[in-house]
Amino acid sequence: MSQTTLAPPETGTPEPPAPAKRKYPWYVIKPREGERVKAFLEAFAAILRYSNYKPALDQYSRSSMKCSSCTTNCPVYATTHDPRDIPCYRSGLLLKTYRRHFTVGGWFAAKVSGDPGLTEAEIDEMADVFYRCTACKRCTLECPLGIDHGLLTHLGRWILSELRIVPKGLEISVIEQLHGETGNTSAIPAHALKDTLEFLEEELLEMFGIPMHYPVDEPDREFVFFPAVSDYLLEPETLMGNLAVIHAAGDAGNWTIGTGYFDGINYGLFYSDHVLERTIAKLVGEVARLRGRKALIGECGHASRSAKEFVPVFGGDLTVPVVNIMEYTLRQIEAGKIVLDPNIITEKVTYHDPCNIARSGWIIDQPRKIIRAFCPNFVEMEPHGRNNLCCGGGGGTVSVDEIHEFRMSVAGRMKADQMRATGAKYVIAPCANCKKQLKELIEYHKLDTKLVGLHDLILKAIVIPGAKSPAERAAAERGE
Amino acid sequence: MSELLAFARGPFFVLTFTFMILGLLRHIGLRTYRLYQVLHRTPKRDVPWGKIVRNTAGWLLPIRHIFTSAPTMKIASIAFHVGIVIVPVFLADHVFLWSRGLGISLPGLSDRAADVLTLMAIAAGFYLFGFRILNRTARNLSGRIDYFVTAAVLVPLVSGYLASHPESAPLTYEALMLIHVLSANLLFVLMPTTKLAHVVLFPFDRLSPEIFWRLVPGAGDRVAEALRGNRQGAEA
Repeated sequence: MSQTTLAPPETGTPEPPAPAKRKYPWYVIKPREGERVKAFLEAFAAILRYSNYKPALDQYSRSSMKCSSCTTNCPVYATTHDPRDIPCYRSGLLLKTYRRHFTVGGWFAAKVSGDPGLTEAEIDEMADVFYRCTACKRCTLECPLGIDHGLLTHLGRWILSELRIVPKGLEISVIEQLHGETGNTSAIPAHALKDTLEFLEEELLEMFGIPMHYPVDEPDREFVFFPAVSDYLLEPETLMGNLAVIHAAGDAGNWTIGTGYFDGINYGLFYSDHVLERTIAKLVGEVARLRGRKALIGECGHASRSAKEFVPVFGGDLTVPVVNIMEYTLRQIEAGKIVLDPNIITEKVTYHDPCNIARSGWIIDQPRKIIRAFCPNFVEMEPHGRNNLCCGGGGGTVSVDEIHEFRMSVAGRMKADQMRATGAKYVIAPCANCKKQLKELIEYHKLDTKLVGLHDLILKAIVIPGAKSPAERAAAERGE
Repeated sequence: MSELLAFARGPFFVLTFTFMILGLLRHIGLRTYRLYQVLHRTPKRDVPWGKIVRNTAGWLLPIRHIFTSAPTMKIASIAFHVGIVIVPVFLADHVFLWSRGLGISLPGLSDRAADVLTLMAIAAGFYLFGFRILNRTARNLSGRIDYFVTAAVLVPLVSGYLASHPESAPLTYEALMLIHVLSANLLFVLMPTTKLAHVVLFPFDRLSPEIFWRLVPGAGDRVAEALRGNRQGAEA
């Protein structure tokens, strides 16, 4: 186990007062002190030796054309026009370090040109620019040479994290998830989870007039459910919508929530392969404990991508298929098991594509088919789908409170304009990170719209035989 | 000068051309081996070849990317590439060299078509060079090598065109041919040693988003272990 990234913080140590100007743009729990160049290069060397990044760096350092095409698609650069926000410039910092310290040609060129090599200032610059990137990978769509700047941001952050240069907002959650008593990023104890589920069941009983239950720790079920754990605190309607769909589809006996581990969040995707792998191990371990057959991931972009992409990589013998809740819901609608009333959500509705599930083309049509099944007044944001604009809080930056102003006025500005242009009453965002960021954007930019999850709206429109109708529920909600 | 030209066209040409071929083959071999390594070290080994081929084909003539922004630069880039790929290979005089040197028989361009394509590539090349200087974003990104490589591609184009139109050339035919052949030889050296290697590495570009996220199980633990060893060594 790493003693750098993953070590729990020293308890009882008061945090030093924040200096007038921070060394890093965000709080760091315990950054590496003193000379960091050697430590950075050692971490880089170790990662190159044991990981798969060397071929990527070889290719990218050979092919980077510096043509500036990537700037076309970067919402951060489009807002700031600051050279440090050019994807190719940011990646170039890492590629330059790779060339001059880990390739013969680059070493020779550095000697000839008198290049002193990596400097402390460059490490500070990387700490800055790699967290000004939201890792949305939109730039990759326009790069003629196919450079995946999101991958290089991830790698740069991993190296920095081995020097403990990680935003506190991410590290503190990961420490709780991997070492804490609760084992999840929101520090929710199992008994609190059960209380929450009971509360949601009572709400559903009142709403629908029939009982529905969240199965807990039931073995041998098809699905083990992992929403972003913050949904249990912040998104009750999404979770109720999830249960309503599964209940109506007749799958009440086919799923369960595990109290051993119930968090879909995986911040490792944002900054460390080490964290990514250990978090995947917790997920597949819980599915195995319950003898489940599939991992069902809730409404969350990065949770879905990290599970879909990395369970097959890190899951080993415990690898199971990964299903996103929207894929599940669409399947039930298409099978005729779910009926949605098209007369409930008549207001204008739009949909935000979370980058982590849309950029690859994985989940684009599924939510739209669901929405069109019951929202007659659906409008698209432009651009959308694979070419969507990031919410401005991607890549874990939404968890970094110290850069709130950056997220609002820079990274999310184009998204705010895009939401405003639709004139929609509801903006649907099926992702815990996007929801937080977009709610803050709506408040900051004073937009006349409401941010919801897809299953929040399904909850309003779903027709369950024997239960109160959507119209009755709507009337009850209005107090009639 | 004629002796120098004969040397540049003869043994020096053979040397640099061979260097280019071997260098580019080395790149292809290395890149293929690296991709094999990547897939060998990860359990997820499927490769979506169909998607990669489609994306590569789409980028060979990237019409749909033209109007995303800076359309003039994109059009110039396409025109430049079309010119520098077609003219050096299919120019009638070069077709003769292919046939004489390697026994390869290729169809030759008409003089008029060659002139049009060459002028198009020259104009586009100068535009791209100017774009690097005048566009703030591109200028911020560009280093000396980026200007040098663009210029290095332009010199044989311009000198070749002027040599084939001696009536309007400011230098003698022999001088122009010397510049043309030497700069072409320089280009052969630069091809495998600079970013110009993308002439053969282009097919690998679309693999990257599909392959490079195939991470290695246990890499995080091994990195942590190695770094802990380094620290203990430093403290001892």
